[in-house]
Amino acid sequence: MLDALIAWSGGAFGEDWAARLSYLTNGKHLAWYASVRFTLIAAFAGAAIAVLCGLLGAAALRSGLAPLRWLGTLYITMVRGIPDVLFFLFFPLAFEQAVEWVMAQRLCGAEVLASSTSWPPCQAAQWYLGTGEYLALACVSLGIVYGAFAANVINGAMTAVPRGQLEAAVAYGFTQRQVFWRFQVRQMWIYALPGLSNVWMLLLKATSLLSLLQIQDMVLWANRIGAPNYIARVGTVHGDWRWRYYLALFVFYILLTLVSEYLFRRLSARAGRGMAIG
Amino acid sequence: MSLLADSAVVETARALAKPALFNIYFALASIPLGFPFALALAIGRDSRVKLIALLCRGYIYAFRGSPLFIQFFMVYSVMLAFNLEYWKPLGIDHIVLHPLFLGPLVLVLNTAAYGAEIFSGALKAVPSGQLEAARAVGMSRFQIFRSVTWPNALRIAWPAYTNEVVFLFHATALVYFTLPVIDNQKDLMNMAGELFERDYNVFLHYSVAAGYFLVISALIFWLAGLVYKRLTRHLDPQARTGMRMRPNYLR
Repeated sequence: MLDALIAWSGGAFGEDWAARLSYLTNGKHLAWYASVRFTLIAAFAGAAIAVLCGLLGAAALRSGLAPLRWLGTLYITMVRGIPDVLFFLFFPLAFEQAVEWVMAQRLCGAEVLASSTSWPPCQAAQWYLGTGEYLALACVSLGIVYGAFAANVINGAMTAVPRGQLEAAVAYGFTQRQVFWRFQVRQMWIYALPGLSNVWMLLLKATSLLSLLQIQDMVLWANRIGAPNYIARVGTVHGDWRWRYYLALFVFYILLTLVSEYLFRRLSARAGRGMAIG
Repeated sequence: MSLLADSAVVETARALAKPALFNIYFALASIPLGFPFALALAIGRDSRVKLIALLCRGYIYAFRGSPLFIQFFMVYSVMLAFNLEYWKPLGIDHIVLHPLFLGPLVLVLNTAAYGAEIFSGALKAVPSGQLEAARAVGMSRFQIFRSVTWPNALRIAWPAYTNEVVFLFHATALVYFTLPVIDNQKDLMNMAGELFERDYNVFLHYSVAAGYFLVISALIFWLAGLVYKRLTRHLDPQARTGMRMRPNYLR
C-alpha cells in the first residue's frame, strides 16, 4: 500500500516528492512513528494511576485521623518540593533494588549475603528489566508524582461543592456514606476538571522523559535518525538533521496540547450540563 | 550503625554541595532575563497591534504547550546546526555552545512563557478604580503604568511568580540530561547519578539530592515571602493575607 502511495505521489507531485515520501516511510522512520505508543501508554496509564493516587491523597487530606492527614500533607509537600525528574529516576531504581533485595534473601546463601559487597549479592538475584518493565515503572512513578498534584485539585474541588447541597441531602435522610459518594464525589468532578486538565498537560509533557529509563521512545528515535549519517561506501548520506526531528517533536507536543484542550472543553461542557456553573 | 549512616549522609551532602551551586546558577542566571521578557510578552499579548498580539500568544502557547526536555534538545541541536556557518567563523562557538550559556538561554525562553501568563492575569486584575483615578488626575500612559499598573500587578503576581521561580529551579535538574558536561561541571542530578553508580545506594544519594532541592525551594519561598511582606506593607494588616506557602501547585 505504501509503495502504491509513493508511486502515486511520484506521478502527482513529481519524483522529488516520491523520494521524500519514501525516505520518510523507511524502516527507521516507521519505527519512530510507532514509538508514539510508549508515550501514549505512559500518558493514559499514568493519568489513571494519578487519578487513583489523587483520590487516595484527597481522602487522606480530609480524613478524620490526624496521622492520615499528616501523611497526605507529607505526600503532596514532598512531591511539590522535589523535581519530577528526580522522582522519575529514583522510583524505578528503588523499586528494582527492593525486588532484588527480596530475591536475594530467598535465593542467595546466608554466607554470600553476609560477605558480598557488590549489588546484587549473587547473580541469581539480578533482575533484568526490559522495556515493558521500565514502561510499567514509568507509569507508576508518573502516577505517583502527578497524583500529588491531582490530590490537591480534588481536595479543593470537594471543598467547592456547595454546603447547602450536602446539608439538603442530610435533611432528606441520606447516610454520611451516601452523601459522600452520591453528592460530594458526584458533583466534585465539575469543579475538579479545570485543575485535572492542567495536571494532564503536565503529565503529557513529562512523558517526554521516558528515554531516561532506556525506553526507545520518540525522543531517542529522533536523536538516532537525525544524527549525522555516514556510510563508508556512499559517503555522507546527510549531515546533522537532529534539529529537524526535535522541531517535529516540539510541534507534535503542541498539537497534543491543542487536542487535549479541545477534548477537556467538551468534557467540561458535558459534565457541567444542568448545573449553574461551568 | 546510626553514626555510620550519619557520616554517609554527611559525606554525600558534602559531595553534592558544589553541584548544587550549578543548579542555583542556572536558576539565578535565568531570572534577570526571564522576568523582563515575561513582562514584555504579557504586555505584547494584549497589544492593539494584531501581529504583535498574535506572535506573543503563539510564543506563549508553544513554550507552555511543549516539554522543556524537548525545548532543550531543540535549541541545542539548532545551535549545533548553526555552528559551522556562524559560531565557528565568529570564534564564539565555545561560548555559545557551552551549557552554562545554553542552559539559562532555554530556561529563559521557557520561564518567560509561563511568567507571561502570570503577569497577564495580574495586569488585568489591577483595580479599575485606581486606573480611572490616575486618568482623572491627568497622568500620561507611561506615568499610569509606572505608578499604578505596575506596582499593583507586581503585588498581585508575586505569589504565583514565586511558584514559577521554584518550578524554574526544579527545571534546572533537566539541563545536564540534554547538554554535555564540560570541565567536570556537574549538577545535582549528575553527581547523584555518579555516586549511585559507585555503590548502588539509590536511597542515600537521591534522597540527599532531593533534600537539597527541598531546602533550596523552602529558602526561595521564605525570601519571596519577605519581599511580599515589603510589597504589601502599606496595606491594611487585617485585609492583608499572608503569602500562601502552598499556592496553586500547578505551573
